[in-house]
Amino acid sequence: MTDTLLQNLINGALTGCIYALIALGLSLIFGVMNVVNFAHGDFVMLSMYLTFWIGLWAGADAVFTPLLTFPALFLIGVLAYYALIDRTLRQKYVTQIAVTVGLMTFLRALTQLVWKAQPRALPYSIIQGNIQVGPYTILASRLVSAVVSVLAIAGVYLFLSRTWAGRAIRAASDDLDAASLLGVPYRQTYALAFGLGSALTAIAGGLLMTFQQVDPTMGVRFGLLSWCVLAMAGLGSIPGLLISGIIVGAAEAVGMSLWDPRARSLIVYLLFILVLWLRPRGLFGRK
Amino acid sequence: MRRTREGLNRLLLAALLGVALLLPIAVRTDQYTLVLLTTILLYGVLATAWNVIGGLAGQLDLAAGAYLGLGAFTAGTLLIRLNVSPWLGMVLGGLVAVGFAVLIGYPLFRFGVKEVWYALSSAALVEVLRVTFLIWSQVGGPVERYLPYHEWSFYHLRFATYMPFYYIMLGLLALALLVNHWIRHSKLGYYLMALGENEEAAEVLGVNTQKCKLQALAIYAFLVGVTGSIYACMYGFIHPNFFSGPMSIEVAILGIVGGMGITYGPVMAAILLVSVREFLRANLGGQLEGLYLVVYATVLILIALFRPQGLGPMLRQAYDRLLSRLVKE
Repeated sequence: MTDTLLQNLINGALTGCIYALIALGLSLIFGVMNVVNFAHGDFVMLSMYLTFWIGLWAGADAVFTPLLTFPALFLIGVLAYYALIDRTLRQKYVTQIAVTVGLMTFLRALTQLVWKAQPRALPYSIIQGNIQVGPYTILASRLVSAVVSVLAIAGVYLFLSRTWAGRAIRAASDDLDAASLLGVPYRQTYALAFGLGSALTAIAGGLLMTFQQVDPTMGVRFGLLSWCVLAMAGLGSIPGLLISGIIVGAAEAVGMSLWDPRARSLIVYLLFILVLWLRPRGLFGRK
Repeated sequence: MRRTREGLNRLLLAALLGVALLLPIAVRTDQYTLVLLTTILLYGVLATAWNVIGGLAGQLDLAAGAYLGLGAFTAGTLLIRLNVSPWLGMVLGGLVAVGFAVLIGYPLFRFGVKEVWYALSSAALVEVLRVTFLIWSQVGGPVERYLPYHEWSFYHLRFATYMPFYYIMLGLLALALLVNHWIRHSKLGYYLMALGENEEAAEVLGVNTQKCKLQALAIYAFLVGVTGSIYACMYGFIHPNFFSGPMSIEVAILGIVGGMGITYGPVMAAILLVSVREFLRANLGGQLEGLYLVVYATVLILIALFRPQGLGPMLRQAYDRLLSRLVKE
């Protein structure tokens, strides 16, 4: 009993690292320009389909596809920023939501049009097999995914703290007017943040495709999931995001094994509502 | 001049009402068109009800599907288990929705969950209820539960044609519009509009924002719950997928596109967008899966980008211009 529980806890925590990576992308978008992006989960879905496509067309393994999908998603993100988001910055947040919901519907319909509604998956990835640690089995694909996610998160952390562009993003997020006075071009900075936030889903999408399939309705799940992680972490703390992602992933896995496999999303959303009631600033929030 | 303008207004209203009343008689045997018209009215009712919490109070609620499903399951289960007439069931369905809304809304507003977080937690609520009813096999479960079949029974709200449902929905729409009109010109309405504009300022001026928001939520939940009960009777079954996330979002979108806080806006948006969607689906759906949604989403984005105030003010302006020309001549 405890063994099964711990086994699920490990699996969930490893998946949670990918959730943290997805939520980091959302956090860049919401935290920096205060744009409520409902389409974030659908960017994950789009990344997964692109991974599937490239994997099939080039015979590449899902692990390597981010080399192509990362720049692609960055471009799509920048494009989406200039075409849609930039025009809504001065509007009420309901207008932003209407636009991003439109984008969400658009992406979902587009994938349905191109790849049809049935679920798609790639052949087995090279990171198959498992590692036996005592009584527990650790799936290699999950472990590699978690490690890559943590590395990517660390990379973003370094980018935000060490480079000029990264510091510009943080400055714009803290105080846009002061940053503008000091010569931070806000349009380019926002576009960069939106592009980077979207591009991070490419890494997550590639990792997810190593062990699961994709269908067009998947975006909603990842969207709400990343908002849940973000709500729990609060804004401005990257290590907090990682911990929250792991908590959400672990809670999901444990709930599924103890209660009902169909209760997967239920646990995440209940957790989400509870966090909003009790800790509206999140567990690690800065502002 | 003032009198003629009012006269024209009344004339237009009468004409619209006449068209709405006579439309189903004109298409009487065409069940597809009847369902289509009833669906447009259904979305019209939902979006008009949403206008109370979303448009007036400025709370972006995405939980219409939650209240719709609760209404449907209350009336449906009462009918299946206890043979309670849906005429009573729809009132009870509305009340159950209100009870649930207050239960959820009280702590939400008490803990100051606002804006995007309110929107997201209400969206999560729909999914929570859907999964709960999927797992709760005594009432829900993955299989549709059919309402008892009758060829034609007023007591069971079961008819061989969709026409009665059209008129019931039309009546409900009239009720929703009247409620909107009444709130807009009441104290509650002014409080709601004040807190919708700026919550802190309204609070400083002595508006009990928590209470007002809760009242708006309850009115909205009641109307949506009643609609859900009729929805179940119209389709003849209940299923956990009635707790629909996409439908909830669409209701909010209709409210936003119609123009926040404008009484007739959401209905106009529903007439326009739902017909566009159904037209596209009927004409493009067969050839390319998803193409109609691509077009629909593009229309939505364009409206949100270039008419952020919604269609309501635009149509009103056009109508005013037309009126002034007519009156001058």
